[in-house]
Amino acid sequence: MTSPPPLSNLHVLELAGLAPGPFCGFLLSSYGASVLRIDRPGSIASNDLLTSYKSSIALDLKSKASHSLLLSLVSKADVLIDPFRPGVLERLGLDPVTVLQKINPRLIVVRLTGFRRDGKYKDMAGHDINYLAVSGVLSMLGEKGRPPLPPGNVLADFAGGGHVACTGVLLALIHRGVSGKGQIVEVNMADGVNYLGTYPRLLLKHPMWNGERGTNTLDGGAPYYGCYECKDAGRYMSVGSLEPQFFEVLLKGLGLTEADIVPEKDMRREDKRSWEHMRLIFTARFKTRTREEWEKIFDGTDACCVPVLTFDDLEVRDYDFRPLVGLTESPAKEVDMKYHGRAIKPGDGAENALREWMGWQKGQEWDVSGKGAAELRGKSKL
Amino acid sequence: MSQPQSQPPLTGLKVLELSGLAPGPFCGFLLSSYGASVLRIDRPGPPSSDLLTSYKSSLPLDLKSPASHALLLSLVRKADVLIDPYRPGVLEKLGLDPATVLAKLNPRLITVRLTGFRRDGKYKDMAGHDINYLAVSGVLSMLGAKNTPPLPPGNVLADFAGGGHVAFTGVLLALIHRGVSGRGQVVEANMADGVNYLGTFPRVLTRAPMWNGPRGTNTLDGGAPYYGCYETKDSGRYMSVGALEPQFFKELLRGLGLQEADIVPERGMSREDKRSWEYMRAVFTARFKTKTREEWEEVFDGTDACCVPVLTWQDLEERDYEFRPIVGLTGSPGREVEMTYEGKLLKTGEGGEETLREWMGWRKGKEWDVGGKGAAELREKGKL
Repeated sequence: MTSPPPLSNLHVLELAGLAPGPFCGFLLSSYGASVLRIDRPGSIASNDLLTSYKSSIALDLKSKASHSLLLSLVSKADVLIDPFRPGVLERLGLDPVTVLQKINPRLIVVRLTGFRRDGKYKDMAGHDINYLAVSGVLSMLGEKGRPPLPPGNVLADFAGGGHVACTGVLLALIHRGVSGKGQIVEVNMADGVNYLGTYPRLLLKHPMWNGERGTNTLDGGAPYYGCYECKDAGRYMSVGSLEPQFFEVLLKGLGLTEADIVPEKDMRREDKRSWEHMRLIFTARFKTRTREEWEKIFDGTDACCVPVLTFDDLEVRDYDFRPLVGLTESPAKEVDMKYHGRAIKPGDGAENALREWMGWQKGQEWDVSGKGAAELRGKSKL
Repeated sequence: MSQPQSQPPLTGLKVLELSGLAPGPFCGFLLSSYGASVLRIDRPGPPSSDLLTSYKSSLPLDLKSPASHALLLSLVRKADVLIDPYRPGVLEKLGLDPATVLAKLNPRLITVRLTGFRRDGKYKDMAGHDINYLAVSGVLSMLGAKNTPPLPPGNVLADFAGGGHVAFTGVLLALIHRGVSGRGQVVEANMADGVNYLGTFPRVLTRAPMWNGPRGTNTLDGGAPYYGCYETKDSGRYMSVGALEPQFFKELLRGLGLQEADIVPERGMSREDKRSWEYMRAVFTARFKTKTREEWEEVFDGTDACCVPVLTWQDLEERDYEFRPIVGLTGSPGREVEMTYEGKLLKTGEGGEETLREWMGWRKGKEWDVGGKGAAELREKGKL
């Protein structure tokens, strides 16, 4: 018999943004938190699709009555997600130290920026690719002889951004359990991604990773760690046969011998001089069968050779989506968005959220102004 | 004025890390950097090649020897977390079944089981590596330049982002649950699901105009010329460009000394029109080659052009980069990053004596000792 998700009863205010901030909220909501996104008034849904299990409230932070409503929510909240550049939260009258923590010393304010908030780029606009660039990690990614190429925006925005922010929140919650106090959590994607890249960094003076980009074992250099197109164009198999015993199984499945794959007799496969030749052999060999045929050969073996599946393949194979990590006693909520996102409009779910958080009724303690912003009734002109 | 700082938040937490490579050690590395006492359980003999060793200690055990195995079970009684990096079934075969053995000894124990493939999936008994877990997750199909095979970003995405880090998150969630329930649990992390989840955003956009083109032809995956890298006059050096928004793109053009008309092949064509991209990329490529990286930095630093240098680790070293933990906790900060450009092996048994004293109050030679084959053993059960 399982328990509710571990963050049930956690109240999170997510100041609306795109990608990293919402992903932090998305992770928190999937583990049970009640996440309320603070939007500007308007009838158009924001572009943000990371909306599972969230509700929205429209506020106008320049209006006293609306701003006061937010401060009431702050008194109840456990977490506030700040996705803005340094100084913006303060300018909104929400200084974490002088305003927010004074109202609620248990509040955890997670401040997520791209660049360091005290670094030379702190006031500059940027995106995932830029944070990756200054972290050192981007210089290692991409093919040899071509400009570095990031893996979409997965690494800085999500792995090193939103997920790291969630981690920071969890650590702060654990600390709060002991100290009774909240704190300010500072996340920046450059440091997040730099830390995730520790392993390659520690190997850069080591034969394993000291070659130029795209010429090393794990970054596209080694022919036994890469992808190959099958007979059915646009479909690929992935190969990751690092260990000798796995490489043997790979060769067996490909119908090749050690002698076939190196240009000179007895040259070892770890010898980089063999790689170009080996890659040509593998490329030609993989093209002789379809992906499905290769799967039949390699499934169930230790060749470290499995298909590169597209999201369309996942749909065809009826892939069962699961949360980030499985907790056997206190599992997450189900993944509720598969192949399409779902936008939420400003104010969607606000009424229920305010009732749940504050015990308030719309029209009583609060209402919506002419401009579409939620406001406290006591201070408003309603 | 910030509050006075406390110790790292995981101070006092006891972690047993069954030795492995990459993802398991990275989970232990994150735990130790936030204050946990992490004891790596090694085989006797030469040290593991693992470099993710900061703040950890090591203890050699021979799990086939009853006296050594019994020592581990004593540690399990005291531990908060055990990291299992093995394929499904191995832990059980070692006499360490999480449900029937470990949880019985210690109901508060959190066992984090980290595999590459799902432990109940079709690939569960197969060997694999980062690239393979990425491959079956759907994410790899989106990565890499167009018309070339997919290319993973080193082994950062599955081993670390979707592996060790996800396992760490699972441990933290389980700790929070334990704070309420008083009970531990088994945490199941697999890199395919970890990486699939991290790739949610692109996935929910693959049927939208933003990301429905073939790999390498979309806005954020190498297609758009205003989201990519350009080589500068000093070859092998690059600037990164991420000028998505119109106001940022304007600043980029200004810094490059280009006009809207210069960058599209046909008058009036919008820069979001994919038909303009090949041409635009050629114009940008040529323009960036006219100055060194340093000169471009002088042009773009302090602006909103979303144009900053691609720094190598050597650049970081030269610029005296200050390494920081993964996330900054202003009230209860993590430990300092202690390894910068080179890793440090953890010798077999290094620090183990001290850890056993700290955890158990034990003394070497009294409650435990090292047997003839180099494995630590409980003294009562041993033949010492």
